[in-house]
Parts: sequence; C-alpha cells; structure tokens
Amino acid sequence: MTDLAVETNGLSRRFGELEAVRKVNLRVEAGQFFGFLGPNGAGKSTTIKMLTGMLEPTAGQIRILGLDLAKDPIGVKSQIGVVPEGLALFDRLTGPEYLIFAGRMYGLDRVTAAERTRELLDFMGLADRTKSLIVDYSHGMKKKLAMAAAVIHGPKVLFLDEPFEGVDAIAAGTLKAMLNRMIARGATIFLTSHVLEIVERLCSHVAIIDRGELVAQGSIDELRSGVSARREDGQKLSLEQIFLEIVGGEPAAVPELSWLE
Amino acid sequence: MTSAPDRSTQLFLVGWLRWRLFVNRLRTSTGKLNLAVQIITSAGMGLGVLGFGFALGLGSWYAISKAKPALLTTELWLVFLFWLFFPLVVSGFGAESDPVSLLRFPLRYSTFVLLALAHGVFDPVAAACLYWLATMLLGIAVASFGALAWAIPAFAGLALLNLLLNRAIYAWLSRWMAERRTREILGAMGILLAISGQFIGPLTRRYGHLALPWVSRIVLAARFLPPAIAVSTIAAGRGGSGGKACAEFAGLLIYSGILGWLLAVRLRAEYRGENLSEARRPSVEVHAPVRAGWSVTGVSPIVVALFEKDLRYLLRNIMGYLTLLMPVVVIVVATMGRRGSPHPKVTGFMLGPSTYFPMGVAYVLLTIVGLAFNSLAYDGPGLPLLFVAPIGFRDVMVAKNLLHSMILVAEVILVFVLVQFAAGPTPSRVVGLTLAGALWALLLNLTAGNLISLYFPRKMKLGQMRRQHASGLAMLGSLGVQAFVAGVAAALYFLSRWAGNTAWCGIGFLGLAGITWLAYRRVLNLVTGIAWKRREALLAELSRPD
Repeated sequence: MTDLAVETNGLSRRFGELEAVRKVNLRVEAGQFFGFLGPNGAGKSTTIKMLTGMLEPTAGQIRILGLDLAKDPIGVKSQIGVVPEGLALFDRLTGPEYLIFAGRMYGLDRVTAAERTRELLDFMGLADRTKSLIVDYSHGMKKKLAMAAAVIHGPKVLFLDEPFEGVDAIAAGTLKAMLNRMIARGATIFLTSHVLEIVERLCSHVAIIDRGELVAQGSIDELRSGVSARREDGQKLSLEQIFLEIVGGEPAAVPELSWLE
Repeated sequence: MTSAPDRSTQLFLVGWLRWRLFVNRLRTSTGKLNLAVQIITSAGMGLGVLGFGFALGLGSWYAISKAKPALLTTELWLVFLFWLFFPLVVSGFGAESDPVSLLRFPLRYSTFVLLALAHGVFDPVAAACLYWLATMLLGIAVASFGALAWAIPAFAGLALLNLLLNRAIYAWLSRWMAERRTREILGAMGILLAISGQFIGPLTRRYGHLALPWVSRIVLAARFLPPAIAVSTIAAGRGGSGGKACAEFAGLLIYSGILGWLLAVRLRAEYRGENLSEARRPSVEVHAPVRAGWSVTGVSPIVVALFEKDLRYLLRNIMGYLTLLMPVVVIVVATMGRRGSPHPKVTGFMLGPSTYFPMGVAYVLLTIVGLAFNSLAYDGPGLPLLFVAPIGFRDVMVAKNLLHSMILVAEVILVFVLVQFAAGPTPSRVVGLTLAGALWALLLNLTAGNLISLYFPRKMKLGQMRRQHASGLAMLGSLGVQAFVAGVAAALYFLSRWAGNTAWCGIGFLGLAGITWLAYRRVLNLVTGIAWKRREALLAELSRPD
C-alpha cells in the first residue's frame, strides 16, 4: 500500500447558496509533484485554503500524511509548508527578520533559523537586500521570500498557490530547481497554476476541478490516454489540450463578440 | 467605436458607484452594526453643530445690530480655521486622492475637477461649516436686511476660498506623501505639531508678555486675510461705499484665483497620469550579516519571536510610538513649574500635585487601550502565516499582551519620575492605590481587548493616519469597559473614604485584579479555538488586498 500525503473524503465548502467545492476526493501519494488545475472560480484556491487550515470545510475530511487536520491541526501544520495566495508576508520586517521569524514559528531554534536564513537568502538571490523592508521588495522578490519561508523548516508537503505568477524566467528557474530537489529528497508538492506548460513540465500527476467538482485525477499519461481514447485523430495531446477537453472549453466553442468583429 | 459619456452621465455614474459601495457594505451584520454606531455618534456631533450654529447666528445678529465687526470677524475666523484644520485632525494625512482611481476610464478633465471639488463639498466638516455660514447669514438678515446684499457674496466668496484651499492642501499633501518615507515623516511632523500645541498654554503663561508686540503685528496683518476681508466687504457695503466693498470682495476673489491656480496645477498633473505610486528607488546593495532572533530564558521561543516581531513593527511605526509618547509630554506640560507651588491651582485638566500621578497613569492606560482593542490591526498581510504555522493563537495574544503591558510599565515609571521631579513627591498611599487600580484596569482591558480584537477586527496600515479607526463596535466595547472601570473605581474610592480608610480601595482593586486574572487566563485558553473558528472572517477583514 502506498503512503498518501494528501487525502480528502467528501470535501465540501459552501458560501451561502454557492457550493464552491463539492465532495472532492483527492489522493496525492507521498513524493508526487502534483498539479491542481481548474478554470477561474472552479474552487482551486478554496480547496488549497481548506487543505492548509485557512478555511473550514462545510463537510468532509482532510488527512495530511495520515493525520486528521480537524483533530490535529498543529501536528499537520508542522509537517507542511505553504505559499498562500497573498504570500502572507509581514512587510515591515526585513527579509532576514521575516525568515527567522517564520523558522521560529515552525519550531526551529534561533541559531538554526539564522543559519537556514543565510542559506536561503543566498539561494534566492536576496542576500544583497538584507536591510530593506519587505514592503520595498519587488513582487518577484516577495514571491521568492514567501517560498523561502515556506521551506525553511523542511516540510514534507509543500502547498503552493500560483507560485510562478509574476516571477521572471531566471527566478522561476531557481524555484523550479529547488522544487525538483525537494521532490528528489522525498517531499510532496501540491501546486496550483494557470500556466499549463509549467505544470506539464514539472508535475507527474494532476487533478482537475471544474465548478467545484473533481473531474479528473491521475498521472498526466493516464489522463492523456483517457482523453485520446475518446478522440479519433490519434495525436499526442498536450496538457492544455487535455485540460480543454475535460473542462469543455475548446476554443472553437467560444462564441464571438458581435462588436469585436 | 464609442465616445466618452458626457459630464453629467459621468458624475451620475460616480454617484451611483459611491451609493452601491455604501449599500454593499451593509450586507454583513457587522457592516449594519457599524453604521448604527456611526449614526449614534454622528447624532451627538450633529447636536453640537446645530447648537454652535445657533450661537454663531446669535453672535452675527449682535455684531451687526451693535456695530461690532470684530465679533463677526472672530466668528468667521473660527469657521475658517475649523474648515481648514479639522479634516486634517480627524482624517489625518493621506496619500490617496479618490478621483485618481477613476482615471483609467475616459474621464473628462472637467468631470475630474468637479469630482475633486465634490470631495470637499460633501465632506461632513464642509457641510457643518456651510450650515454655520448660513446661520450667520440668517443672523445678519434679522439684524439688518440691507447688510444681507453684501453678506451673501462675501460669505459665498469665503466658502469658495475655503473649499479651494482645503482641496489644494489635500492635493499637494497627496503629492508629497506619495512615498512611504515622506508620508511617515510628514505624519510624524503632524503629531509633533499636535504635541507642541500642548506647550502653547504654559509658554503663554510664562512668556506671554514678551510675545505681545508680535501678536499686535499679527492682528494688523490679519486685516488682509480672508475672514477680515469678508467682514470689511459687508461693513463697506453697509456704509454706502459700494466701490470699497467691491474692492474688498475682489480681494477675496484674488485669493480664490491663486488657490484655484495652485489646485489646477496639481489636478492637471494628476489627470495627465502622474505616477503617485510607491516608486522604489534603486537601492545600494547591502550584504549585512544575518543575526539570530531574540531569546529569553523561561519564555516560550514562539512567544519571544512574536514579541520581537511586534516590537519591531511598533518601532517602525513612527506615528505609533509618538502617540504612545503623548501622555508623557502631557505630564511634562501639566506639571511644568508646579514644584514647590504653595497653593496648587486648578489647571485645565488636573486638580493638584497628588492627582498628577493617577491622572497620568489613566491617560497612559487609555493610549494602551487603543492598541489592545484592535491588536491584530497591523498584522494584515502576514496574518495567514499565523494560521498555517503550527502555533496556537494563545501565543500570539500573549506576545501582544506582554508588549502592551511592558509599554504601560515603562510609561508609568516615566510618568512617576517626571511627576516627582516636576511637582514634588506623590503620597505613597496615592501611588499604591493608583498602581493597584492600574493593574486591575490593565487586566480587564487585555481580557476584553483579546476578545474584541478577534470578533471586531479592523485592518490598519502602518505609516498612514488617513481614515484609520477601529471598528465602531470595538470602540463602543472599549468605551463600555472604560466607563465600567471609571464607575467601579470611583465607587470603591468613595466607599473606602466613607469607611474612613482608603486602603480598602486598594484592597478592593487587588481583589478585582485577582478575579480578572482568572477571567484573563480563561479567555486566553479560549483564544486559540475562537481564532480557529473565526479564521475566515479574520483573514477576510485583515488580509484583504488594499
């Protein structure tokens, strides 16, 4: 039997009349680089917020590394790292102050937190901005710092909400290298992204959510063969084509706007 | 291709937008409750405005009937200065100019200018001042209907001038405060100005006679300032010198013209797309060593790390710690020159040397209350980290309570030393009673503050004072706690005096502190669960993007 890093059963979230996430059953095995995809408003961010304890599910169960999030939130949180939607930075601290603070929040002693901070600042190319307040960082620098804070305690599962949005190609390369190294060391990465090329290049497995429901889950090859079986042209499909096929968003199906002709 | 809508359509659309924003804020029960609190507080202020308007009307009637132009000038100066300075005091200094956010739409320049002016007219302060001018006109009309013919244009000119001056100041301040650092420096200067205002009374008492010749020169120069010109217009018109009245009125128009030009320069630059965002300057690369965080033996490292973070935040909020220094400055001012005074007199707000220390401590407590009842206000963008990290929210609140308590202790010590130095020794019985009372009041405020911070939080931005208030419900809760503390303290004090020994009051305070300590511990144990249950509401209110 394979160890599951992330497991949800009947996970649901309702906002008044709207059921944003409906009975989602996710299975992410330990060591997988997992991409969580879906159109805008499909429920990706709501799901990742529930998985990381920032949002309470209306129904269902979440188990991270075998631990029940509702029963043992502290136990779960100490095993995971998160880069949430808004980056969660205390912007009136300097980069090093923030990383040390984040490290200590995850239980690192002050010396270890400082050592890892130095290493992370060097790795992320932020070592020359140690005196600047985070509020004065560029968006890309903030993203790298948030990523550094998420990995400072060596999490076993890393949740990343749109990690490459607003990051230049050089920084994206650095981040990808770091994520691949984490996977090589046995960590699990769960990311959402709109950039399907990146997901295709990095992730081994994906799940697709559409209108709150999980519509596909498995390795990219499994999804590809499933979709190809339905088509007659026999061509090798890209993740974008698989995605569009599953969520029913073929470009040809998009109606034209009368005043843009 | 479409063309931009005409000016009236654009103005209508902006009005509709404001209305929808207002209505949509009422969708939540907190929004409705906040509006109710706002209506109640505004009603109180409204009564004051109505009453003052009546007094001004009466004054104008008297000034015209008895030919006392100096009284009319004084009234106009009051309205002029109130219109000018009160918005700054109430809403502070800000970097935002609202119509600028609409510039991405094809807004006509004339619409943009009208919106900027409308911002000034629909301000409650402007409405109050316009009402006051109207009541003064009524008073003038009753006294002499003939004077009204000159009073209407004079007052209208003054109102226009005030409006342009107010808008010009805001527009230019926005320009200077576009960057975080300048904003903080100007904000700090504003607070220093307010603090230095406290010294006017004592300095006037001591050096007033030396300043008299200067005062008479200023009064002479004030003749050429708008309120005096407006009164001269009316006086000349009433006296039959139409030409002189016109010349005086032209003076008002010249002022308005200059201010209008200054405002137009700014508005034109804003309209052309001047970038007022927080532009980053290329900074010198600094490769400074990374120091480990703080450590305190016997205290949880998580609490220490949170405390260090909160202290750094406080120290990087110039306006915040200047506000905390205010009580100390007030003590210096109030006790100035009181040492050895054989017959201590009643001053503006203190009775005698033995009450200086308790009053000072009460003032310090009030400044701490502002922090304790909205203690997550500045955590905004970083708050999600406190929810995804493996910590209990109890630690977060303990760290904040520790910081607030330590500030209180430091300020109480400072106040004590200053009072002893400036006004002589405070009786030990008074010191004991004050400290016992302060301990109870602090514990009660922290207990209530921890709950209110979680139930009625309000996001605030560091380095910015503009329109930053705690939620109406938090303010109401805080007011209730302070009224309770004051009521119980007074009752205990008078009961113990009646019993013939004020030591009973101290024992009562300590007993209450003991009971409150148990309540504080109980609330602390609940805090993690409350924050976990309310995390969605907390993140929505405090971490929402600007």
